Amino acid sequence: MTSARTKKLKPSGTAVPQPPLRRGALIGGLAVIAYLLLTFFVAKANLSIQSVVLVAAVFAVLAISLDLVAGMLGLYSLGQGGFFGIGAYVTTILAGQFGWDVFLLLFVVLAVTGVAGALVGAMSLRVSGLHFAITTFIVTLVLTVLETNLEITGGLQGQLGPAFPDFPKALSGLGAPVAWCIMLALLLCVGLVWNIRRSPLYPVLLSIRDAEPFAEAAGVRTSLIKVGLFSLSAAIAGGAGWLFSFLGVVSPGQFDWSVSLNVLVMVLVGGINTTFGPIIGAMFVSMFPVVVNINPWIQEILYGALSIAAITFLPEGVIGVGRRLLAGKRSGATAAAHTDARPPEAIAAGDPSVDIVAQGGEVIARRAPLDEIMLECRGIECGYGRGPKVLRGVDLVVRRGEIHGLIGPNGSGKSTLANVIAGRLTPTAGTVILKSQPVNGQPPSSRAKLGLRRTFQAAELVREITTAQNVTVGLYDRIPGIVRRAALWPMLPSGRRDTAITQRQAVDSLVAVGAAEWAAERVGDVPHGIEQLTQLAAVCIAAPDILILDEPATGLSAREVAHLARILADLRSQGVTMIIIEHQTRFLFPLCDQVTVLNLGEVILTGTADEVRAHPVVRQVYLGE
Amino acid sequence: MLQFLASGIAIGCVYGMIGMALAITFYVTRIINFAQGQLMMVTVMVTAELVGQGYSPWVGVAAGLAASAVVGVLSYLIAVRPILAFNRFGFGWLVSTLGFAAIVENAAAYFWGPTSIPFPTILNSTSVHFGDAAVLTGQQILAIVVALLAGAAFELVRRHTLFGKIGMATAADPEMASAFGINTKTVAMVAFAASALLAGLAGVMIGPSTFANPYLGDTFGTYGFIAMMIGGGTERPITALYGGILLGISAEGANAFVNSRASDWFPFLVLALILVVSPRGLFSSTGPLARLRPVRAGR
Repeated sequence: MTSARTKKLKPSGTAVPQPPLRRGALIGGLAVIAYLLLTFFVAKANLSIQSVVLVAAVFAVLAISLDLVAGMLGLYSLGQGGFFGIGAYVTTILAGQFGWDVFLLLFVVLAVTGVAGALVGAMSLRVSGLHFAITTFIVTLVLTVLETNLEITGGLQGQLGPAFPDFPKALSGLGAPVAWCIMLALLLCVGLVWNIRRSPLYPVLLSIRDAEPFAEAAGVRTSLIKVGLFSLSAAIAGGAGWLFSFLGVVSPGQFDWSVSLNVLVMVLVGGINTTFGPIIGAMFVSMFPVVVNINPWIQEILYGALSIAAITFLPEGVIGVGRRLLAGKRSGATAAAHTDARPPEAIAAGDPSVDIVAQGGEVIARRAPLDEIMLECRGIECGYGRGPKVLRGVDLVVRRGEIHGLIGPNGSGKSTLANVIAGRLTPTAGTVILKSQPVNGQPPSSRAKLGLRRTFQAAELVREITTAQNVTVGLYDRIPGIVRRAALWPMLPSGRRDTAITQRQAVDSLVAVGAAEWAAERVGDVPHGIEQLTQLAAVCIAAPDILILDEPATGLSAREVAHLARILADLRSQGVTMIIIEHQTRFLFPLCDQVTVLNLGEVILTGTADEVRAHPVVRQVYLGE
Repeated sequence: MLQFLASGIAIGCVYGMIGMALAITFYVTRIINFAQGQLMMVTVMVTAELVGQGYSPWVGVAAGLAASAVVGVLSYLIAVRPILAFNRFGFGWLVSTLGFAAIVENAAAYFWGPTSIPFPTILNSTSVHFGDAAVLTGQQILAIVVALLAGAAFELVRRHTLFGKIGMATAADPEMASAFGINTKTVAMVAFAASALLAGLAGVMIGPSTFANPYLGDTFGTYGFIAMMIGGGTERPITALYGGILLGISAEGANAFVNSRASDWFPFLVLALILVVSPRGLFSSTGPLARLRPVRAGR
């Protein structure tokens, strides 16, 4: 626990060893060299081969731009065709009619499409999911209509794009410069997503996609990240348009909504949320009409049938199927590797009999709660829709260092109160004061920055990554430059070092809560109780000042409950203030300094566990006596 | 002056019917069937083909509608159900319904060629004068009447019959609905057949003035989609009809007041503006118009 309680990651120079460049780096280097050789052949090849490959490469860039938001954030943008068009038209018009330099135009295009993406994102993410897809779809429709009807764009026929500048004489042996430009751009984009997938930002992005409340509670400003990443995605699509304008005529039909959908087909066919899937999909879709050269209608029918078949029979895409085949072959080997990979101390602490407090090192004597008020709720009123009020005039005072139990029958408003305190629900009246600051109106992420963390009654986690990766999400605001550095992460020595530290801390945190042997398992494969412990590890790793636990003992075995009680007592001794919602009073009461009883949205009583136990009304409404 | 209003309402009713057709399938399955325009085209092509072979227009229209309904159910069985079975909240249907649209459209183009063939006139040659203000063809009036009847019938079925309530239950939570013993597959198939019939009817209304063309589905599918989005049909199908009428009036109005090609872009501008103001559509329960209405219990 102590390592988790440091506010920032340790600077370099401390005990954590620098991970050496792995074999992966060597393989990566060889792959890049092979790719450059391929580029050389493409640049020297005849025009028909060159155009097929280059068009496929431009679409691969476009598909990567979509996968960036669709795969990592679950935002199915149908605006990629539109942003693609903006890039191509801005380049063609400003270069052809106004004589701007094409390289200057690259930056213009990136800026214009990036800003456009941010605006569309900010506008459409007010309503989520399907409406995002629809709004971006409409953006593409509107842009196509503008391209067709404006004078400057040359109408339906379009206009010829600019020529790509030649290489200087010394480099003319390299072949067509436009081929180099496009292939290097694709390499850059692959590098970008490759790096992001290996950065600590990746679990955070997936948590925004699958478990947004969890991400928010960890201090992530989710809407900002969504808009930012969509802006980047739009800028990449615009950049693809810039590349595309060098390949010939630019006309509205090349950027309409069917292009947006084809890009989605590429991503889904190749494998969503994979680095190479979009490229495979883009090759399939863009080369299909060239390779299958038959009656155009039959060809379209075949294309339609194939895309349905691909979606139906390969719902995880080509890469997904490949992975499953590989996984089948290797399953024996990986199972062995899992047990090997587990750090020795994890095995030791997996046994709950080992005293966790002793492991953590410094043992602070259990001290009496200080008088300082950590959290105060005054006159909270809250309700859902037009129904009756769920909370009516709730007052709650929690002092520093105390464990405050919150009990009451089902439907008494416990979880609602937790959501009001954490900022997920806005009360209709009343004030929440956190560390003597009124926090009304502040989103959950801002309250997390004040040191408030929480778990959820129904665990909110990302099912497709490991429990340890989920726990690293809790470190979001402890890792400096997690967003800024993500694009280069595994290439930076500091990035590799921080990855090692975060992974170690995540495993340590899982060890501390007694879920060590599950650290390498995907959350989708673990039992319910382990999900609860994973949540607990994800909040403890952030060294919170105040913790709200919503039914943490649900789904735990008796042994695990006993262990949990010890963890919580230890946290208390470290000065963490806690509000615990729980039905198992036998587990809860011995821990609590204060207990508040809610019934029908009103506070019946706040007092010590003994007072609560003795109170006649509590015995009647809750203990059922 | 009133002319553009009248003809706008007429064409808007056609858009609105396609929008409602989209909304009905959305209502039950939470997907947008991108082949909806093509379902309309099937009716138009089959009707034109049979009438061209000498059958009576009634037979042609009936066979055309039946063909649309069959293709509509097929679109569900081939392009929707397998996808939703894998992941009810995924977006694979975007691809599969579009793939289905490509198959239907190109098959039609393969059989009939890309050029237009004649469509029976029906009521297109009669005209009705509303004083000096406006003149509509009989066909346009028929379109308005059919659209309003279809909208009213749909609302009656939805609110006041068991089947409508089963549809609502399926829309809200298919798993819960099937736990109650509702055969959600049948409900969805009926919804797709009904929606294809509605789209086909829209085709019969517009066929006399557009003639039969395999690519008809593209344009009308898009306008139907806009009608649904403007109206807020993703929540209540009937609002797609209101959206369609608004769309028709704004398109005809743009033609009358801006220039003869303004209907190509003006509706899109209207759409973009409306979605900025009210992302869920103008007539949705959270839309700006709903806020003006007095609150009633239930709906």
